[in-house]
Amino acid sequence: MNAFLEGCQKQFSEQSAHLPGWNALPIRNSRQEAMQRGAQIGLPTPQLETWKYTPTRTLAQSRPRFHTEGCVGLDLEDLEPLLLDRREGHRLVFINGLLSRSLSRWQDLPAGVRVDSMANLARQAPSLLEPCLDRFLTGNDQGFAEINHALWLDGAFVQISPGVCLSKPLQLLFVTTAFQEPIVTLPWNLVLAGNDTQAMVIESYASLGRSSHFTNAYTTLMLNAGARLEHLLMLTETTAAQHVGTVQAIQQARSHLDSRIFSVGGALTRQDVQIMLAGEGSRCLQEGVFLAGGRQHMDFHTWLHHLRSDTRSEQLFKGILDGQAHGVFNGVVRVPQGVKQIRASQKTANLLLSDTAEIDAKPQLEIHSDAVQCNHGASVGTLDPDALFYLHSRGLDLETARRVLVHGFAAELLQRVQPAAVREWVAQRLNLEGSAP
Amino acid sequence: MNILELRNLHVTVMNKPILNGVDLSLKAGELHALMGPNGSGKSTLANVLAGRPECRVTAGQMLYRERDLWPISPEERAREGIFLGFQNPVEIPGVSNLRLLKEAYNAQRRHHRQPELDAVAFRAHLRDRTAQLGLPEEWLLRPVNAGFSGGEKKRNELLQLMLLEPRLAILDEIDSGLDIDALTLVAEGINALRSTERSMLLITHYPRLLDQVPPDRVHVLMGGRVMLSGGMELARKLEQQGYGWLEEMVT
Ligand SMILES: Nc1ncnc2c1ncn2[C@@H]1O[C@H](COP(=O)(O)OP(=O)(O)OP(=O)(O)O)[C@@H](O)[C@H]1O
Ligand SMILES: [Mg+2]
Repeated sequence: MNAFLEGCQKQFSEQSAHLPGWNALPIRNSRQEAMQRGAQIGLPTPQLETWKYTPTRTLAQSRPRFHTEGCVGLDLEDLEPLLLDRREGHRLVFINGLLSRSLSRWQDLPAGVRVDSMANLARQAPSLLEPCLDRFLTGNDQGFAEINHALWLDGAFVQISPGVCLSKPLQLLFVTTAFQEPIVTLPWNLVLAGNDTQAMVIESYASLGRSSHFTNAYTTLMLNAGARLEHLLMLTETTAAQHVGTVQAIQQARSHLDSRIFSVGGALTRQDVQIMLAGEGSRCLQEGVFLAGGRQHMDFHTWLHHLRSDTRSEQLFKGILDGQAHGVFNGVVRVPQGVKQIRASQKTANLLLSDTAEIDAKPQLEIHSDAVQCNHGASVGTLDPDALFYLHSRGLDLETARRVLVHGFAAELLQRVQPAAVREWVAQRLNLEGSAP
Repeated sequence: MNILELRNLHVTVMNKPILNGVDLSLKAGELHALMGPNGSGKSTLANVLAGRPECRVTAGQMLYRERDLWPISPEERAREGIFLGFQNPVEIPGVSNLRLLKEAYNAQRRHHRQPELDAVAFRAHLRDRTAQLGLPEEWLLRPVNAGFSGGEKKRNELLQLMLLEPRLAILDEIDSGLDIDALTLVAEGINALRSTERSMLLITHYPRLLDQVPPDRVHVLMGGRVMLSGGMELARKLEQQGYGWLEEMVT
């Protein structure tokens, strides 16, 4: 066994009584079972097909430090660039994994929207969480997720009552500050979108300071019938940080999910997306852009499960890699036997900016039904020398020309982000200003 | 002063000799036309002046305002006032015309130690030029040349030219693909840019454009050299008789 898992077990046995929801039996059971399964399967290693490329060794060998105190003395000013809308935006801000009420702002949310810290909710209204506990993913590659399920300390709870429409985006911001020794944060976020609701949730991860830390996050999105949810995941932690996360979405009939990922952060970033199209007429759009340089490793694994007839998915994922960065995109589209009227399209395009950058891009269609319209494509390319010369001939130096072309490559996905204020903020967080007019 | 002077210029592309001793000089304020059969090396000449890396100078000299061009990077040539209007402008999806124009304009301003224009001032500065070319406002938000028709691409080159106001404009078949009205617009644009400070080299196959933009001189490029130079009457003779009668002179 490795130091990380041992440390987690130690924490669990010593601190369990302080874990949120410990007094509610279903939550306690769920935590205990997760810890048991986690200990049994261990952390994923490259021996597992789905973790073949992810270098988890260093992480597994480090001893975890959990942070359980309240937030440090931060002001809104310290967070300025990380906030979508400092003055009027709705947000839950978590510092080092724990909710900061003073930095959060949700007073004037419309009636019918309940937001809270998961820690608080697990103590005061555990029954709201219970139905979600047995929906967690299982499998021998879920080691990190199991640790999250066993040890989560906090996270965002968002519940939207049927028919309610959120006119403004809701930001869930997770900030980790610098510590002498790297800390581990384990947020579990839960978004319950009721029937015929409409909302945009922006889940963003960032660091203050340049030091290393580890985020192990899990986000559950439940879309009831007719719900429309837009989920933006912004991974912008420092290039010294490690990030492992899962977004799991369960979609009921006629629901629409737009899942967008923008990633620039992390020495190691491993993000899984599991979307279950579990109701007829449900639709999902899954998009992502990641930019990796230096020695960054960014790894995206997505699964789109067409569990019912008349479901559609559309995916476009782009990687931009420089330096000695390594990128992975593995996209599974799964259509079981017996379901009909399926449409799925999957595309991945990747841009290598240096000879030493690498990408493993693999579309994986597992289609066991005939009634499927499916197209897919994967491409890897470099900067077009004709385009570079064209820009040089207009006076742009190499650095500017490269930046312009990189922006152009990412623009297709940025341009689809609405409203413009969010788009501009995303571009700025990714250092892609000017890419979308 | 000669803005451009080529002396015995030899250029190869992929080790294949294309230009074999071009001599040509262009004075400040002059407009010359360059004609010649397909594949004779007109675009190669334009490209080597702009600094395309594939075009290797193997002998001879290129002087721009009495400076040797050879060691100067393409981007610096541009900022120093050389503009190439491409025969086949590149499509750059995802990058708006506005962005390109702004980057190009500000790169030039920085080079000359002038303050950059902010977004608002720049838009205003551009507005007259788009209007002059009959381009709609949203043109600026469209991605550079992506999905543009042949004629639209050429107009876009001219828009860049009008913004950057170079000292030496080399326009490679700016008239190809233009409809009759667009040709007039482009000709008017070029005429408006003529000044004692600015020289132009127009590469073209037809005297149609030259009728509207009278050249000071017409050169014929064949066999990798300037075979013959003359006035407008040369362009007309070529239109009537083709290049056959010159062929004998090459050999
Ligand atoms: N990358 C290349 N590799 C090999 N040959 C090339 C390359 N680029 C140009 N050439 C050759 O160089 C010669 C000159 O081409 P260039 O484009 O300069 O001709 P041009 O006079 O502009 O012709 P046109 O009137 O058709 O535009 C041609 O024979 C062409 O095939
Ligand atoms: Mg040509």
